[in-house]
Amino acid sequence: MTTRTKTLTGWAVLLAAVLVCALGGWSYARARGDDSLAYAKHRDVALADGKHRLALLNSLDAKDAGTVDSGLAAWLDSSTGPLHDQLGRTRSKDAKELTTSGATARGKVTDAALTALDERTGTAEMIATVDVEVTPRTGKGGTERKRFEATLARTADGWKVKALTAIPVGSGA
Amino acid sequence: MKERGGTAVVTTDTDPDTRDAEEAEEVEEVGAAADEGSTQTPEPARRWPRVVAAVLVVALLATGGALFAEGRALRDTPATSNRALTDSEATTRVAGDVSNALGKVFSYSPQATGVTKESAKQLLAGKALQQYAALFGQVEKQAADQKLTLTTHVVRAGVTRLTDDSAHLLVFLDQVYERQGKPATTAAAQLSVTAQLRDGHWTVVGITAR
Repeated sequence: MTTRTKTLTGWAVLLAAVLVCALGGWSYARARGDDSLAYAKHRDVALADGKHRLALLNSLDAKDAGTVDSGLAAWLDSSTGPLHDQLGRTRSKDAKELTTSGATARGKVTDAALTALDERTGTAEMIATVDVEVTPRTGKGGTERKRFEATLARTADGWKVKALTAIPVGSGA
Repeated sequence: MKERGGTAVVTTDTDPDTRDAEEAEEVEEVGAAADEGSTQTPEPARRWPRVVAAVLVVALLATGGALFAEGRALRDTPATSNRALTDSEATTRVAGDVSNALGKVFSYSPQATGVTKESAKQLLAGKALQQYAALFGQVEKQAADQKLTLTTHVVRAGVTRLTDDSAHLLVFLDQVYERQGKPATTAAAQLSVTAQLRDGHWTVVGITAR
């Protein structure tokens, strides 16, 4: 190899390295600035959080006053906004009633989907089907199938349920 | 290139005066790159362009590689391949197509039994055909005997997963049963539906009652 070709090779290698770096930077910048990517991630987080919160809101261990109290605390923790306020207002009444009835409920979200997501305002609409397994203190329990529409809101502690509606039969006609 | 650059750096950092003959020659050549036609013995200042270039190349390659990997990590998630809601047009379309299909195959009138059968053949495929028969067969039998009319409305539909040719949805339905001379009754039904895009139309290939 002559000195001249070596020099040229040196420059070529440097240029190639610059290109590799630029390409990497470009690819990263594109991934970073991809709005739909961020949106997709928010969607998945909102759905996962929403399912979890909804299952909690359909569950309550009514063994004794202590478990009822912690169950109601979990309800409050899973909700925000209007639903949170409402659950807070009725908490002591709910605790009394649930302890007396003693029916334990375990909610399981069987399927759920987001129907809307607004990143800017941090709200989402979710529909979900829930199987609630109810075990009364005495007698035989059963499983109730429920369908809900929930409004989720983004909080510092993840997505929480802001409003919860059981969609009644005949509402869509 | 990396190795070479590394050697050059190490050599200069440790002791430039004790380098062996081969390295001396290499360094000389880069010195020549900056200044052609130089003398055989390189002065220390002439080695720097080569060292700087080598370090620069390594740094550029490393940075480029790291950025590329970082970008891929951001992009390569299950969230990315799912276009539900991110592609609002496609989401609306699949929800519309599937809602339409369910409305048709779960509606029935004694005057037009053929219509329901025909739409089932067109709009359902694969496992969905058997699942449909299991869900709907009973109703169909009763319907013929009791002059039952069944109308199904979709109340809500949400898309959980959407790719180019497959989708998963959750659909809430209201089913109105009308018997001659009796008041209509409404029942709720919830279905998880898997759909596939076939010939430009979403075809239902799986139905699970929730």
